[in-house]
Amino acid sequence: MPTVSVTVARDVTEAIKVPRALFLPWPMGHHFGVPFQRDLQRRVVLAALGMLETSDEPGTILDLPIKWADVRREAKTLTEQGRKL
Amino acid sequence: MSVPYLREAAAQDDLGKLVRFVRLHLGDGNEAVGKEEIDRSWAETIKILLRDQPVDREFIAQVLEKDESTLALLFYHLHFYLIRKSGRWIHDGSR
Amino acid sequence: MTAADKTIMSAVDPRDAGTQLRPGLWQTINERYPGSMIRKESFVPQARLAKPLAASRLTLVSSCGVHLKSDQHLDVCHPFGDFRFMRVPSRAKHDDLIIHQLKYPHDDADLDINVIFPIERLQELCQEGRLGGLTPNFFSFIGYSMDPEKFERTVAAGIAEAVVREERADCALLAPA
Repeated sequence: MPTVSVTVARDVTEAIKVPRALFLPWPMGHHFGVPFQRDLQRRVVLAALGMLETSDEPGTILDLPIKWADVRREAKTLTEQGRKL
Repeated sequence: MSVPYLREAAAQDDLGKLVRFVRLHLGDGNEAVGKEEIDRSWAETIKILLRDQPVDREFIAQVLEKDESTLALLFYHLHFYLIRKSGRWIHDGSR
Repeated sequence: MTAADKTIMSAVDPRDAGTQLRPGLWQTINERYPGSMIRKESFVPQARLAKPLAASRLTLVSSCGVHLKSDQHLDVCHPFGDFRFMRVPSRAKHDDLIIHQLKYPHDDADLDINVIFPIERLQELCQEGRLGGLTPNFFSFIGYSMDPEKFERTVAAGIAEAVVREERADCALLAPA
């Protein structure tokens, strides 16, 4: 069965040789983003699911290079504006 | 510090290895923190008992009739309960 | 790389650099808990989707330990782990769900479960036709385990069996915590 993983620990994922994985440079407990940031969560999910259709080589790790500092900055802005997406 | 490793340590009655594992579990991978957590939960029992509230010794007697596996696991649940009571909760995977 | 390069690199906050936030995690885990990690010597042959995603049934498997509020939670206190897994109805919403966990931060997941278990995002993608469907249940377990052989034999085998035979998934999204 085709599977895709999402990981924030690239070295662990490389060591255990998963079929395909999406890597995000984010902390544990936040593999899909931050609360109420629906668009970002969708983006991560779609990037991961996209690998099910495109990834050919076993062990492919795709980077989604969205910096955590940027994610947090936007989350803070949304909170200050009192918006819940 | 896997279960097979611990089985060996238990067979040799290697207290050092067994306690090291307990400290790692209770300290989220940090042995020094785990040691402190053990002291903290025991200290919390004293604080609670100093309040001199009624205790249910019948219930305790019933619980102590349970099998050893349940009681051994209960020990861990009680530890975490006391740590929560202490107000100092470290467990969030960040260490 | 010179010593100066290393000093400069180590001075860059990984949150700004876009690199792994906890470097050397694999080494740390193996130093503190030797023998606890499942090891693979080679890659498994890669399975391919038999049909487009828009026609495929997806399941979600997570080590975040999430479950329905009405269910008894898994045992997060046991020093070796809890070798059971939970079924989470794929129709569930954030307010139906709860996480009990020790070993990873879930404050944000408590506000919005989709941060770690994107159940509502997958429901939306299904409604939009981006996914063919979701399995009736998703799966969750506690990632902490000190017995890799028992974990494979119980949790991994159990979920794999359920995903294939009961849920009839075409593909799976795997989300660690």
